[in-house]
Amino acid sequence: MTTAIAGRRLRLLGQQPIGAAFVAPYAIFLAVVFAYPLVFAVYMSFHRYFFTAPGAIVDRPFVGLANYWTVLTDPAVARSFGNIAVFLVINVPLTVGLSLVLASALNAAIRFRTFLRVSYYVPYITASVAVVGVWMFLFNSGGLVNQLLGPLAPSPSWLINSSLAMPTIAIFVTWKQLGYFILLYLAALQNVPNELYEAADVDGAGRTRKFWSVTVPGVRPATTLVFILAMITGANLFTEPYLLTGGGGPDGASTSPVFLMYQKGIEQGQPDVASAIGVLLVIGVLIVSLASRRVLERGQ
Amino acid sequence: MKSWKLAGILAAVAAIGVAGCGGAGLSAADAAKAHGPITIWYSNNADEIAWGKQMVAAWNTAHPAEKVTAQEVPAGKSSEEVIGAAITAGTEPCLIFNTSPAAVPQFQKQAGLVPLDDFPGATAYIQQRSGSLATQYKSPDGKFYQLPWKSNPVQIFYNKKVFAKAGLSATSPKLATYADFLAAAQKIVSSGAAKYAILPAPSSEFYQSWFDFYPLFAAASGGQQLVENGKAQFSSETGLKVAEFWRSLYAQNLAGKETYQGDAFADGKAGMAIVGPWAIKVYQNKVDWGVVPVPTPTGMPVNAIHTFSDAKNVAMYASCKNRATAWDVLKFATSKDQDGKWLSQTGQMPLRPDLARLYPQYFVANPLYTGFADAASRTVEVPNVANSVTIWQTFRDAYSKSVIFGTAAVKSTLDGAAQKVDSLATSA
Amino acid sequence: MNSGIFTGGVILCTVVFGLLAGYALAQLQFRGRVVMFNLVLLVQVVPFQLLLVPLYVLIVRNYGLGDNYLGMILPFAINSAAVFIFRQYFLQLPKEMFEAARIDGAGELSILWRVAVPLVRPALLTAVLMTFIGPWNEFLWPFLVTKQVGMQPLAVSLANYISTVAARATNPFGAILAGACVLAAPAVALFVIFQRYFVSTDVGSGVKG
Repeated sequence: MTTAIAGRRLRLLGQQPIGAAFVAPYAIFLAVVFAYPLVFAVYMSFHRYFFTAPGAIVDRPFVGLANYWTVLTDPAVARSFGNIAVFLVINVPLTVGLSLVLASALNAAIRFRTFLRVSYYVPYITASVAVVGVWMFLFNSGGLVNQLLGPLAPSPSWLINSSLAMPTIAIFVTWKQLGYFILLYLAALQNVPNELYEAADVDGAGRTRKFWSVTVPGVRPATTLVFILAMITGANLFTEPYLLTGGGGPDGASTSPVFLMYQKGIEQGQPDVASAIGVLLVIGVLIVSLASRRVLERGQ
Repeated sequence: MKSWKLAGILAAVAAIGVAGCGGAGLSAADAAKAHGPITIWYSNNADEIAWGKQMVAAWNTAHPAEKVTAQEVPAGKSSEEVIGAAITAGTEPCLIFNTSPAAVPQFQKQAGLVPLDDFPGATAYIQQRSGSLATQYKSPDGKFYQLPWKSNPVQIFYNKKVFAKAGLSATSPKLATYADFLAAAQKIVSSGAAKYAILPAPSSEFYQSWFDFYPLFAAASGGQQLVENGKAQFSSETGLKVAEFWRSLYAQNLAGKETYQGDAFADGKAGMAIVGPWAIKVYQNKVDWGVVPVPTPTGMPVNAIHTFSDAKNVAMYASCKNRATAWDVLKFATSKDQDGKWLSQTGQMPLRPDLARLYPQYFVANPLYTGFADAASRTVEVPNVANSVTIWQTFRDAYSKSVIFGTAAVKSTLDGAAQKVDSLATSA
Repeated sequence: MNSGIFTGGVILCTVVFGLLAGYALAQLQFRGRVVMFNLVLLVQVVPFQLLLVPLYVLIVRNYGLGDNYLGMILPFAINSAAVFIFRQYFLQLPKEMFEAARIDGAGELSILWRVAVPLVRPALLTAVLMTFIGPWNEFLWPFLVTKQVGMQPLAVSLANYISTVAARATNPFGAILAGACVLAAPAVALFVIFQRYFVSTDVGSGVKG
């Protein structure tokens, strides 16, 4: 009898039902703060909707997929999704690779450790406006990079060149956030058991071998973390096209979906269309994140 | 069980939220007569704050029962976001002394503005104060949802040192016609006096056209707005002339295509700039400058040249309860006396005709401002039409493509944009 | 001072509730775990711009938290990215360690506190530093919630200052850089002080013991 009840409880609540209590504060927080705006955004995307003063009586008819149709047939939106794909293809692998390599190097370094850490971290914490200014100083047509390149400098220059604007932004964001991802890896590296390295030493493994056979598998959850976080923040790209390329320029070559959402939803008063873009973006990113998580966490 | 509970909470919260949206409004008729304390917002720029503080203090001393509380909103691009969100939540103040005319159609659509015609004598007051300038601020329904307050008519500033270095006259340069302007621009750049002749922000924000295409279009067309009677005007022959003029400046690298970090005019990177009267204080002691009206295709007499107003107005917002007081404050703040204080404290032009006649002492003491005061009587505002911001963005995108970057033909691109704008302007 | 309250509140909530949720999602088997984890991802995927206005209406109008510190903190109170970070680090720790503690009869809370937390100290610091930055640099939200100059956090005052000075200064970029330095200084200081804790105790010894 008791075992039957226990069995049912196990099926109903899981092995450690206390886990539910542990996540409860977070769940309540989500319900109180995010549920309403989220549900509301989805609601708006299916209606003709604009924000009004409280008490105003306006007709907000259900329009089915009309907003989605507007969005899907807008070449600017298609372009922004294309841009973000270019961005992610450059930014995510670069971020994952560089941050792991640099974190391992930093972990092994004895000298200048503090200095190196601080210098990785500074771009991440400095307000975007200022960092963007530094980057412009480097990459505008008379900037430092072009001066170094001399005749090899691209024309038109980086940020006003429609095929280079997005890659430049991707590299900028990689640079800006590298410090943060290095920190994530650095923390993960501390938890790779030393005896694994010692065992590899006994086997006579070289540095590269050790990196691939001990470090990489040892920080696998962190890799999932870095990969997914980099992708999510990348998909939400907004500040850089807003500030670095003066509003998604040149000619919309660096617009992003979130930037268009801002233009349409907040500047132009069409939150219904903006929500449709948002919902499409969220679905797209969720699918890619869940798929990549499956791949990255395989065999665990 | 947990997930059921969670779903329950989610649903409940969503329901409360949606229900909360239809709160009770208050009767407009009652509010229009109500007196009492009110809140106002003004811009966060130091000169305007100083004026605002003295205005509020003067009002509060005279009306202790109807106290005004003032707060700052950010100036410039983020202020419309803040105001728009506040309207939706019903937390906006009674009056905002920084309402952009381009945002008025949207705020009006949001039911966020009080038509000032609700108050007895208001229409007459506005028309008497601003004269014929007031007409452009009327909404399509014939009402005033904003009180035309102050303008910053834009003109061309030029750097005398740069002009002298380029071998151009520094006292009366020839900049009146497009041909003159282009010739001067070529000289500035080819002589190496400055990297660019002029550098209006080449970025894609919807409002950037107000400081390159629009002033020249207003001048060339004799005072036309971007959209008139529901029809886009910018693809007319005049509009194309203006666009082609800018295109040749960009094509010859006389105007910069890249955003400049800082002030290109102050740094001597650009020999000219399109600015309003606020620039006088800014460039004082920094640049030896002169000022001319914006160029026109074949050179018009100065007293016929229109320009863009760059105005900011005062509007009364829907959640205001003591509207009678708000209207009284609005009249007080735009009285001849307060307008005079505004002028002397900020150097921006109250939207009144005949400024030189109204405030003779000021213009005798500050002769640099007289040209702007004269230009202020021939200003062109952004059109007060539905989808105003979307229209400007549509125009800006087409302009950026065909004029600044020159990757498409000007005529066909602007024609395409005009078609889109026509349908935007007529759809409510 | 305001920035202190604002940031302090956010960090405390993030760490305490983030640790609990992260631990549960990584090491405990309970119903709803998968759903919760997907929610953690979802919340991060949704762009803030999409939620801005409805969230503002909810907080200010329905909860009446305009001009209130709680209203400023609430949307940032628990950082979903931090939950995700904690989960990934707890996942990295060997399961046997927790099993052993359970067999010894320790409660989950004490396992979390005595066994798990000491091992993820670097992750903890990373999360603190990361959440420190978000609200510290956050500009638009606190500005929406309060226009009372006395209540605004540093970033808002600075952004105000920057927009006024930058619009009219000869060297606006200098003004922006100066502002950014002032804003970044406390974060850098915090980082330099705490960075030595990034090297943690070796997990290996934890497994053996």
